[in-house]
Amino acid sequence: MIQLYNVTKKYGSDAAAAVKDLTLQISKGEFVYITGASGAGKTTFLRMLYAAEKPSRGQILIDRQNISRIRSRQVPYLRRKVGVVFQDFKLLQSRTVYENVAFALEAQGKKRYEVSKKVYQVLKEVGLEHRLQRKPLELSGGEQQRIAIARALVVDPLILLADEPSGNLDQAVTLEIMNLFKRANARGTTVLLATHDHSLNQRFPRRVLTLDQGVLVGDQSPLHM
Amino acid sequence: MLDKFRYFILRALRNMRQWPFLCFASILTMAVALATVATFFLVVVNIDQLATRWTKEIQVVAYLQQPPAAGDIASLTKKLKSFPEVESVTYVSPADAIQRFKKHLGSDASLLEGVDQKLLPASFELGLNPSFRNQQGISTVIEQLENTLEVDDLRYGQEWLKRFNDFIQMLRFVGIVLGGFLLLAALFIVSNTIKLTLYARRDELEIMALVGATMRFIKIPFMLEGAIQGFIGGLLSLVFLALSFIFIISRSLNSFWLTPADFELLFLTVNQQLLLVLAGVILGVLGSLSSLRRFVRI
Repeated sequence: MIQLYNVTKKYGSDAAAAVKDLTLQISKGEFVYITGASGAGKTTFLRMLYAAEKPSRGQILIDRQNISRIRSRQVPYLRRKVGVVFQDFKLLQSRTVYENVAFALEAQGKKRYEVSKKVYQVLKEVGLEHRLQRKPLELSGGEQQRIAIARALVVDPLILLADEPSGNLDQAVTLEIMNLFKRANARGTTVLLATHDHSLNQRFPRRVLTLDQGVLVGDQSPLHM
Repeated sequence: MLDKFRYFILRALRNMRQWPFLCFASILTMAVALATVATFFLVVVNIDQLATRWTKEIQVVAYLQQPPAAGDIASLTKKLKSFPEVESVTYVSPADAIQRFKKHLGSDASLLEGVDQKLLPASFELGLNPSFRNQQGISTVIEQLENTLEVDDLRYGQEWLKRFNDFIQMLRFVGIVLGGFLLLAALFIVSNTIKLTLYARRDELEIMALVGATMRFIKIPFMLEGAIQGFIGGLLSLVFLALSFIFIISRSLNSFWLTPADFELLFLTVNQQLLLVLAGVILGVLGSLSSLRRFVRI
């Protein structure tokens, strides 16, 4: 599903590499943690997967499509396969919960009745179907993150990327969020979750990729632990 | 297709409602910019028009060597009038000329007593059609006159005409230069205002790109929004223009330029008014498009 070959990313020609010579493969339906200290290259790695950055060297294949030199016109179609969730949610504050989620489908040109059905379904799944007409700021942090996850999932992505999704949330809420990711993964979505919270892996052990200063220093699967 | 278009329109309108202040700022900026340019245009056009009226005084006077026979006057007048350049023809006989001179002298008219009634030459006075009241037109008329009549002398205010032409050319030059500057300044201000309004909404643009919206999908609602705002801005600028026309232009021109009583100051024609609104629409669309490019990075 995701294949990287000798991928290096430098911001500027003199800068140190944010990601260095990364080679790895992630199969369809896997659940993978990406850990490492701040600045280890987790975010850069994820950003390259949804073509927000292009690698300086190396090849990246997603669903057998090489996206290392992807054209701008093709980027939207890649992003429809890849849902992204951020630490700061990135919701539109001026729109309602419903509109925020529907937006992702409208952007793909889906019909109106399809949109409303799908949005209601996914909001029910994250437990926010009673908050449809609220604005994000009226809701708690955990609820806002659930909207963001609903927005990422509503398009049925092949891959779900999450960059410190629980960084701003307390333990109880983090568990709720994790359950959403697990459920999505159980339905077949490949999940990549960048975090420095090791307790997540203890509670829910899965493959862990460890980055240090842009280099892959560990790749452990629970079976070998 | 229609469904999509409806979506984009609704989208544009909803955006405008969600950001009323930004929307208002864009509209007002465009209205003021367009009204300023249009006001300047009106001032130049009216001064130009006023100046052109002075050329009514332009006439070619042909003094004849011999007064024509009484029977020929009508046919000569008709012939002269058939020149495309000529608007009016007046025959002034020697007797008429003396009469005019007497009138001119007023109380000193007695000086002319006993003077030969044929002292002054007969002449034809030719008024010209408006589009020929210039050097070129006059040259053509003179050429034709010399072929038609036995002309002794010609008068047509050469000096005055030259100075007048210089003045008009100067006026138009200054008008184009200042108008050009004004237009550039207006474009600059409008595009910057739109840029700022988009800057305030860059999160929205970023998120749209993130969820896989194509460039076209992102652009169209913003273009429509720009078009709607430009349309309203254009209409509003017409209102501003009408106000400035009534309270500033007509008052100042009327007092400074001593406009003749029958002189009507020009307002924009209906076509020009439509053009102004259209300019607003174009300004809105282009302003949005050029700014969008800076904020949407896919």
